[in-house]
Amino acid sequence: MSNIAVETVRTFDTRTEAKVPLESPLAYAYRRSGAPTPTARSRVTLRERPFLGHLILRGGAIVLDEAVREVLGVSLPGEPQGLVHDAEAERSVQWLSPDEWLVIVPGGEEFELENRLREALAGAHFAISNASGGQTLVELEGEAARELLMKSVIYDVHPGHFPVGKGVTTVFAKTTVILRRPSETRWELVVRRSFADYTYRWLLDAGEEYGIGVARSPRPAASGDNP
Amino acid sequence: MRRVSLSQGGRIDRASTLHFTFNGKRYQGHAGDTLASALLANGVDIVNRSFKYSRPRGIVAAGAEEPNAVVQLGSTEAGQVPNVRATQQALFDGLEARSTNGWPNVQRDMMSLVGKLGGKFMPPGFYYKTFMAPASLWMTYEKFIRKGAGLGRSPAENDPDVYDHLHQHCDVLVIGAGPAGLAAALAAARGGARVLLVDEQEEMGGSLLDTREHLDGKPAHEWVAETRQALAGMDNVTLLPRTTANGYHDHNFVTLHERRTEHLGEMAPRLDGRRQVRSRLHRVRAGRVVLATGTHERPLVYANNDVPGNLVAGAVSTYIRRYGVIPGRRLVLSTSNDYAYRVALDWHDLGKASGREVVAIADARANPDGELVEQARARGIRIINGSAVIEAKGQTRVRGARVAKVDLDGFRVVGEVETLECDTIASSGGYSPVIHLASHTGGRPTWRDDLLAFVPTLVKGVSAAGGAHGVTAIAEVLADGVAAGRQAASDAGFEAATVSLPQVDAIREGAACALYQVPHEKPTLRAPKQFVDLQNDVTAAGIELATREGFESIEHVKRYTAMGFGTDQGKLGNINGMAVAARCLGKSIPEVGTTVFRPNYTPVTFGAIVGRHCGELFDPERHTALHQWHLEQGAEFEEVGQWKRPWYFPQDRPDAANGERESMAEAVARECLAVREAVGILDASTLGKIDIQGPDAREFLGRVYTNKWAKLAPGRVRYGLMCKDDGMVFDDGTTSCLGENHFLMTTTTGGAAGVLEWLELWHQTEWPELQVYFTSVTDHWATMTVTGPEARKLLAELTDIDLDREAFTFMDWREGKVADVPARVFRISFTGELAYEINVQANYARHVWEALFAHGEKYGLTPYGTETMHVLRAEKGFIIAGQETDGSVTPEDLGMQWCVGYDKPFSWIGQRALTRPDTSRTDRKQLVGLMPRDPKVVLEEGAQIVLDPNHAIPMPMVGHVTSSYYSPTLGSGFALAVVKGGQQKMGETVYLPMADGQTHEADIVSPIFIDPKGERQNV
Repeated sequence: MSNIAVETVRTFDTRTEAKVPLESPLAYAYRRSGAPTPTARSRVTLRERPFLGHLILRGGAIVLDEAVREVLGVSLPGEPQGLVHDAEAERSVQWLSPDEWLVIVPGGEEFELENRLREALAGAHFAISNASGGQTLVELEGEAARELLMKSVIYDVHPGHFPVGKGVTTVFAKTTVILRRPSETRWELVVRRSFADYTYRWLLDAGEEYGIGVARSPRPAASGDNP
Repeated sequence: MRRVSLSQGGRIDRASTLHFTFNGKRYQGHAGDTLASALLANGVDIVNRSFKYSRPRGIVAAGAEEPNAVVQLGSTEAGQVPNVRATQQALFDGLEARSTNGWPNVQRDMMSLVGKLGGKFMPPGFYYKTFMAPASLWMTYEKFIRKGAGLGRSPAENDPDVYDHLHQHCDVLVIGAGPAGLAAALAAARGGARVLLVDEQEEMGGSLLDTREHLDGKPAHEWVAETRQALAGMDNVTLLPRTTANGYHDHNFVTLHERRTEHLGEMAPRLDGRRQVRSRLHRVRAGRVVLATGTHERPLVYANNDVPGNLVAGAVSTYIRRYGVIPGRRLVLSTSNDYAYRVALDWHDLGKASGREVVAIADARANPDGELVEQARARGIRIINGSAVIEAKGQTRVRGARVAKVDLDGFRVVGEVETLECDTIASSGGYSPVIHLASHTGGRPTWRDDLLAFVPTLVKGVSAAGGAHGVTAIAEVLADGVAAGRQAASDAGFEAATVSLPQVDAIREGAACALYQVPHEKPTLRAPKQFVDLQNDVTAAGIELATREGFESIEHVKRYTAMGFGTDQGKLGNINGMAVAARCLGKSIPEVGTTVFRPNYTPVTFGAIVGRHCGELFDPERHTALHQWHLEQGAEFEEVGQWKRPWYFPQDRPDAANGERESMAEAVARECLAVREAVGILDASTLGKIDIQGPDAREFLGRVYTNKWAKLAPGRVRYGLMCKDDGMVFDDGTTSCLGENHFLMTTTTGGAAGVLEWLELWHQTEWPELQVYFTSVTDHWATMTVTGPEARKLLAELTDIDLDREAFTFMDWREGKVADVPARVFRISFTGELAYEINVQANYARHVWEALFAHGEKYGLTPYGTETMHVLRAEKGFIIAGQETDGSVTPEDLGMQWCVGYDKPFSWIGQRALTRPDTSRTDRKQLVGLMPRDPKVVLEEGAQIVLDPNHAIPMPMVGHVTSSYYSPTLGSGFALAVVKGGQQKMGETVYLPMADGQTHEADIVSPIFIDPKGERQNV
């Protein structure tokens, strides 16, 4: 390939096609604290979406916008703290800071996406870093989800202040999370791997009074099964 | 016991009977009672002994301002709760309470003898003066003094209940749900604002729950119920009853203490089998705050005004009208104002048949003529103009009131003293706006002569409504509340809604007079005690004495006398105390000024402050992807920052049948030898990793590191040192060139976040023109260090990377697969042995780690922890930033001149500082090695080093030990140290005097103890 970016930056696909077991950042937390089964009385449900592709994009909106639209089929969020999804609601781009964006795609798509973005952005100043092993997505759903968040994050999660399509980085108990609202009923936390157990235990403890349940994905944890 | 409870009226449910015990005796009360109203209903006069003089004390007030009825709750050790005001504690079945003071009990108290005898000998400053010398004995005195005093105790067992925090955000926070607060909340909410309405009582409504007045011709509580219902039906309103706004901090950050289950039982009951939160701290960010906190009535200060049966006037009305309890039979009212007359009317209107009588009203004004006065007169109640109760008679209960004409301006009693037989004295010296929260923001209150009270000085974003700023007539209070609510909503960007208010008949009120301390026939210093602050046992005489001793500032008077201290925060006593000080100093009250009220308004349980940040959630524990494996191997852990890192892996001792495990020293020795002789493996995932991309990445590295980066080729790794701008080392690590514009930096475990911030700081503020981006990838990679002579053979079994020593040399990195997983492998060494750091995406960590073990057994693969890592690196003289360095150590002090690019073209961070004469002194503390003369000795880290052990103390200290271990390879203890001019002192002997009297001898040697030429890592 002839473009400068690919020559000067070493990309690396960290996923394998081989059938090897893999563990999500919450694997230890499940073992340690268990996962209470959701019941009809659970007013909030937690579900991890493990093994997704997470990329951190660095660059100005003007530099990135066209390439992201062309490659991913969605525009960059037009506003700070914006979160946009593609039509299938499977791929998202979130504003993190004036030159920083979080892209989450189905697991296994991230390396090809990175390469296509690099191609489209050839010659521009930008950076793409793969963070897929370092963080995981946790969903909260249910009528008590918002109050559970009020116990946990300092940011105002009132629907008037936190509409669908918003995402922020905020203080969560004594750590930080990225908090997003992809739909009316669902909240998402992007949690760092090393803090995942702490965050999980906090949510279970704070969620006890709402009868929090944990929905475990039935998908076997082996990389060859990734989409 | 005489039952004095009314058979009807009030807001209690007589159909329900609740049992409770107080000081071990069983009583009954009703739902709707507070502990205080139930005690009064049971005729309990003495609820406590006073703090200093141990005098019998009864209930004085009906709310947060109660100074005496501070009780200890709890029937079990774990359920102990100190500092509860009986006036604020809802009665529940099974409640157990005790007085906090009084031994052996409140009825028959031994300490009171001391109080009586010692009263004259215990002036303010008594403890300071008496127990000053010798200072060393204060700790001994203190134990006995505390035992004698005491205001409750904390439980000795863990609290089984759970507590938490809730982060609230609102446009308008209304504090207090009396008439002003309800009206303000309604107005703000109708305008569309998000409203939070909080009230500390069991029931919202404030003064409307016990007022005589009617709203729209109906009892006031009906309007309260309607309004409350209207508010509850609006989804932009949150109502928090039983919630005290206890602290008002900067930027409209207010902390609320919500007692969620305290009214239900001693422990939080379970709901659906789940634990409920007992008490919750709301951390509120409010756009606007409306203080509708009402007023506290001031009692008058007269002799023996602390004998049980002396109450604040309004409290009497509250007990009668809200709780259906009459706290006595024969009432004398002493007042300076009209409003207090309602107490006499409420008492009188119970009727002769009830056996209640208003003996007299002593009104300090010459010609009281307001509407309430006329009502009292019309009922035939005796009113003694120009007079006041100057002294209460009785010991454990009021038996009479001595009433006399008083000359307010002359501060003296005039004419004869008449003694009236009574069992209750209600007094009112006026109404102080509750300005505590406004004071928390730093605003000094303003005195208003027309109100005879301080009103709050308000910072931006806060307003006051109703009594809180001196508006007291109900119709005006309601209108004031609406205005405040509308204004707050409109300031917050909402429309100003209209609210229709109920009709209230205005009551013509006569002017009040200024009366605080009532004169006595004897001078204050010789009169019976006239209490100003009942909780802290501060008397008018005490304040007078303080002013005579030269304490003129009210802040000094407060500290000398303890007035307004502690949990009381001067609610009843402060204004009276200032008035006494003003009289003694010949000043006006505003000239004397007020002390500062501090958070918390009323005590907050530690549980609520801590929330769920306790036990396992006290601090985050960070784990690597291999944490479960380490646990399964029985690792002991060390905390590094917030990370839990394996410290060492103790194995079962082969010789011990009972499964006894190795000691730490044994485990570390075994792990060290395994690395030096075979192969070991370390989980190094905690190292900080920063992905650096951009055309100016290389230039940037050259500026933030001390050494050169211009020629580092892709595929190569280099060690780097970072200095702060003062030239002192603050972090180190290796950085690899991944591509011409692409680097991967590693940092120390603890320094990761700080280094990333440091890079961003310099990029954003100093060199924004450099095209470079930094992204943390610490958690993305799991890092496994395989090191030792057998490392190559082991890795070769699992990887497609060419490990040939010519193809993959020391300080190279390569990519390929390890155990079928894509990996970057770095040939760097922190042990001095052949080493490969394998990095894989963290989700695969366990698979790769276990694959290494599956192949590693035949090579003796041994997991090792941070302790072994420390020993091995110290044997090689490798520093640890933060251990060998402490912010005052330069690269040159460390002997690392090889790592400084003195001739780099751009002035890198720290370069200028390293040209200062101070950093080139030859007698700076420099890194050296130490070999103890006795090989069995492991020097203490931190031990001070001297050159002459026979020097008189204090000895000149020339340095200290920074790292010290036992080396199984050397068969000796060894250490790294910093010694003044140490690099020129090789071979010299130094001494380390220890606290236990021994002195160790050691020789200064090179800090590199093993393989100085680096041949082992280069194989």
